Amino acid sequence: MSVRGFTNSRPLLLTLEIGVPVTLLAWWWFASASSTNPFFPSLQKIVTEFGKLWLFDHFLSDIVPSMSNFVIGFAIACVAGVLLGTLLGLVPPLNWLLGPIIQFIRAVPAVALLPIFIAMLGFGNEVRLFIIALAALFPVLISTIDGIRGTDALLVDMSKVYRFSRIERLWFVYLRSASPQIFSGMLVSLQVAFIVMITSEMLGAARGIGAMTLMAQKSFDILGMWAGIVLLGILGYLVNLLFSMFRRRALAWHLGAQRAQASN
Amino acid sequence: MKRFPASVLQPLLGVVGIILLLVLWQWGSTQVSTERALPSVVAVGTALIINLQNPAVWLAIGQTLGIALAGWAAAAVIGVVLGIAVGTSRAFSAATRGLLDFLRPIPAIVILPLVLLVLGPTTEMGLFLVVFGVVLPIAAQTAAGVEAADPVARSTARSFGMGTLEILWRVVLPGASPYIGTAMRVAAPVTLVMVVVAGMLGGAPGLGSLLSLAQMTGRYVDLFSYVVILGILGLIVQAASTRAERAVLHWHTSYRQEGI
Amino acid sequence: MTDVRLDVRGLAKTYGSGPGAVPIIGDLTFDVKVGEIVSIVGPSGIGKTTLLKCLAGLQPMTSGSATIDGRPIVGPPREMALVFQEYTRSLMPWLTVEKNVFMPLRHLRLPKAEAASRVATALQAVGLTDAVKKFPWQLSGGMQQRVAIARALAYRPEVLVMDEPFASVDAQTRFELEDLCLQIRDEFAMTIVLVTHDIDEAVYLSDRVVVLGEKPARVTRILPVEFEGTRDQIVTRALPEFGMLRSEILTLIRKTA
Repeated sequence: MSVRGFTNSRPLLLTLEIGVPVTLLAWWWFASASSTNPFFPSLQKIVTEFGKLWLFDHFLSDIVPSMSNFVIGFAIACVAGVLLGTLLGLVPPLNWLLGPIIQFIRAVPAVALLPIFIAMLGFGNEVRLFIIALAALFPVLISTIDGIRGTDALLVDMSKVYRFSRIERLWFVYLRSASPQIFSGMLVSLQVAFIVMITSEMLGAARGIGAMTLMAQKSFDILGMWAGIVLLGILGYLVNLLFSMFRRRALAWHLGAQRAQASN
Repeated sequence: MKRFPASVLQPLLGVVGIILLLVLWQWGSTQVSTERALPSVVAVGTALIINLQNPAVWLAIGQTLGIALAGWAAAAVIGVVLGIAVGTSRAFSAATRGLLDFLRPIPAIVILPLVLLVLGPTTEMGLFLVVFGVVLPIAAQTAAGVEAADPVARSTARSFGMGTLEILWRVVLPGASPYIGTAMRVAAPVTLVMVVVAGMLGGAPGLGSLLSLAQMTGRYVDLFSYVVILGILGLIVQAASTRAERAVLHWHTSYRQEGI
Repeated sequence: MTDVRLDVRGLAKTYGSGPGAVPIIGDLTFDVKVGEIVSIVGPSGIGKTTLLKCLAGLQPMTSGSATIDGRPIVGPPREMALVFQEYTRSLMPWLTVEKNVFMPLRHLRLPKAEAASRVATALQAVGLTDAVKKFPWQLSGGMQQRVAIARALAYRPEVLVMDEPFASVDAQTRFELEDLCLQIRDEFAMTIVLVTHDIDEAVYLSDRVVVLGEKPARVTRILPVEFEGTRDQIVTRALPEFGMLRSEILTLIRKTA
């Protein structure tokens, strides 16, 4: 077997795919086991601290508030984004009216908006939720507008010929046709909501995963900081995974259609 | 309304929208109990003009843009190299898939505490955060572009006696450039966000820390003016990266393929 | 004497107004009787699609009148269904064949059993009973067009309007679909208006052929088409009258192109 043939063989690839991460993890475990570096404690200690902190000790007091802010903020952003996006997509003059404002607010990093709204609305949790929803609104809003405007005019004509009611046309033609883009926007919104949830907590909150992690860093609780980082990493990964799975199922028809078009 | 062509109506309505917002804002500032909570349009406008004449503010703007740009460039180099490796070698791709797939959805903000700890409130911290924030998407798109390279073009080049490196440079990379271009354009605004976050939360130099300072000392008028400056910067960055992409890839625009 | 189903008088359509106005259709007058198949032919770009859009109520006409069963057409008429040339784009890619055919029946609020039977009958008429659960992108072009036709059939229109429906389909499938048209007219007693650039097809299918010409479009001639016996792809096309009609229409089109 030639070198190229060997390096492309399936059993080798599979071994690499599973073996390398496992090896890396094992290396981290053993290399850091006797670490005296203050910034990079042993993996074993991190794992212990992780279990101690998050598994049920701080679950209710910190994980729940963070994740509920995130989920509720994301949900509000999605609903508002689709509703507003549909309206703006179907009524171009409205889109032109609000366009520059949307573009400007979107251009400001969300975390910079937080102090403004805190100044206006105070320090409550609602302000944080509002910022998460506001920041996450834009990706789904803009992709909904694009998706609605991109609806095939022929499909719209067909729905008129067959005398669909306005609601039927909206739901069965426009929204369904825009759903690939809407879901893409939602994925980005998901990531934005997660990021803003963390940053808003780090900026100044008493509870929450982000808050705890930064506070741990500031008070040199290195293990606590690492435990927080690991948790955030795992949550970020899981949240993405769940949504991607959901999106793939909802858009199964689209993937098939694209594949068929590509092979033509 | 039907009398006006869209090319006139669209910018007109846009301006009307902005005016309406400013009016709403001004009205809102008179309704709020404490003057500082929502400063009037006039107050913010004045502060904006004053601040734009302040060399310290311009220094901060320069630092912000500088770190963002440097990080963007560094991430581009690292990302493209990584992406090429993943795209060309099945073995490398398999070996790194687990790690990269796990790291990619994790936002860079997550490691801010660690980076702050190790590097302190410095430019390097900001740079590191920026690179971390955009390198993986660039790598992923580069890999996709390399994998999508036309095998016919590759075989043709090989039949002409081109070496692997030459094929990479002359055939594969140009073919992958739309993907790379899109990834770089999408990454540009993210770099700005990361610098501001690094400034606000970590004290890295730039507008982020100015903003943080203004908030802590209660100078809300300055705070608002900095946010406006940031918004303008954001728009400039977006416009510049879009134009740059179009300029470099004008010959390839018809090949643009954006995945779902 | 057969009743007139569609009556078009002096139909004109101009896009835009003032100095930049583009007149597409100048003056079209023709009628379609109950149970007829009428083809509309003419040179490319003459405005056949514009005419259909006006007939289907998708666009208002600038002047003139079009009535269906005596009632003026101001919006898409209930009794009319349209089969588009771009069949792929007219089907909803996120629905199966079955659901695509069912879609227009939704707002008719039929009892479930009746709706299901209409869908089944329509799919059977076009020969797609095996493909009910497939998605449009899993089907060939000819099959997709058949789904669009089945959708129109299930809707039970009285007038079926088709815009170059077989243009993008291969020759063999085209013959099958043409015969399907004849079958539909016989089985469902439908009136069919067919826009086509294929003169052979127009002569084969129609009872009358409306020839359009000039810019802006006008009716050049309306030719009756009568053959002995039932239409058959091989027999009818070999008849001398077939060739004569075809030449006559082609000459008319060439003259006014």
